[in-house]
Amino acid sequence: MSRYCLVVDLDRCIGCHACEVACKNENGIALGEYWNRVIQVGPHGTFPDLEQYWLPVQCQQCEDAPCVHVCPTGASYRDPETNMVLVAKEKCIGCKYCMMACPYGVRSWNAAERAVEKCTLCGQLTSVGEQPACVAACCSACRFYGDLDDPSSDVSVAIANADASAVHTLKDVGNAPTARYILSEKTAAWLDVDEIEAASDSADPAWFRKEA
Amino acid sequence: MEIQWSLVLFTALTGTAGWMYACVAADEFLKKAPKSAFVASIVAFVVAVVGGLASVTHLSHPDRMLNALQHPTSGIFVEAALIGCFCVCVAIYAIMVKRGVSESVRKVVVVIGAAFGIALPFMAGESYMMEARPNWNTPLLPLGYLGTAIPAGVAAYLTVVAARKEIDDAKPYAVTLLVGGVVAAVTALAYGLSAGALDATTGMLLALCVVGAGVVPAACGAVLRTKANSLLALAAASLVCALVGAVAYRCIMWLITVPVSDLFGIVL
Repeated sequence: MSRYCLVVDLDRCIGCHACEVACKNENGIALGEYWNRVIQVGPHGTFPDLEQYWLPVQCQQCEDAPCVHVCPTGASYRDPETNMVLVAKEKCIGCKYCMMACPYGVRSWNAAERAVEKCTLCGQLTSVGEQPACVAACCSACRFYGDLDDPSSDVSVAIANADASAVHTLKDVGNAPTARYILSEKTAAWLDVDEIEAASDSADPAWFRKEA
Repeated sequence: MEIQWSLVLFTALTGTAGWMYACVAADEFLKKAPKSAFVASIVAFVVAVVGGLASVTHLSHPDRMLNALQHPTSGIFVEAALIGCFCVCVAIYAIMVKRGVSESVRKVVVVIGAAFGIALPFMAGESYMMEARPNWNTPLLPLGYLGTAIPAGVAAYLTVVAARKEIDDAKPYAVTLLVGGVVAAVTALAYGLSAGALDATTGMLLALCVVGAGVVPAACGAVLRTKANSLLALAAASLVCALVGAVAYRCIMWLITVPVSDLFGIVL
């Protein structure tokens, strides 16, 4: 059985947000909505020993996907051919249970269509042999797409080339996320998602409104 | 998280209807309050339907609602199936009462309907148990849903019995109301404290829930044991307070939830 996913090498990610923009352009995502978002983690530590990394997040293609389990209509489903977790928007009744059940909050509410969406791994591109838009647009070549169960795939090669201690998943609460992140100690200490706080003073909503 | 009022009303009303009908079932076997059986069944049916309709207002695409019967493992499917089966049983029972169908047949239908009704509030709470929401992911949550539905349902039934002037037949329910109030207070308190409902808003709601769904119905039940003639006033007061308490409990759940992470919601 295939396990298609993204692998992101955080040692090389420069936080340019190009993946986020490419995703929006390719999939026609409205302002304020995301299928892929780059989170700035840090800086943390004590000056001058500070560290920081960028964490691009999207659907983690969980092996035991809670969104699929709770969806009453089968709108969130596992594709029998590719084994990917996908959303059939035309079946979505908008109950938002899948959004509540996602441990990472990486599902998106399409306000115009009043339905839930999420990263599709750019099936419209990968089905014809191209790379997902975020992978193709990544200027630091830190994003990889492929099948974890295929040793020759880009994702498997990227993981094989990394130190085992540098390969991480987002916090697993029984959902077994497939996506992998590569972050070595020389760059920064890996933080679980429930430990991540918004970066610096931009966490203050008043500051954010003023700057906007 | 914002309070989802549609779902608050849905679970509070269907739970009330379920336990109200459980009282109808008990009296079918006890051969008590025969004049109340039909009216109480109709009221339970209407309350359940109103609750069901409230849940529909939560959906952005109610036109696709029948698709909700396609995935039997989801909590919403279980809720929809339970409320559907419950309403069918209650409707059939009401028709049988009106037509004077034999007791044995009525008992079969009423027991099945009551089982659905009792299960409804628990399963409604159980559908929120998910790993992504740690302070929902405890059996104490559905137990609180179940517990807070008991005094509301019993009080609703007693209100009908009082209105139908079958006061003498209501005597056993004084203790039921008392026990229901204690169960509601204990289960609500257990979940609220374990989930950390201790800030100003949720703490106040928890107190409102314990007093409304617990203390008031329990006190009314205790008074009812000696003052049976005050049934209508005590039952109505218990009903109002128990509903307020049940709603407060459900509001706590929405206000208190913290996901494992909300990565798209982080302010950058």
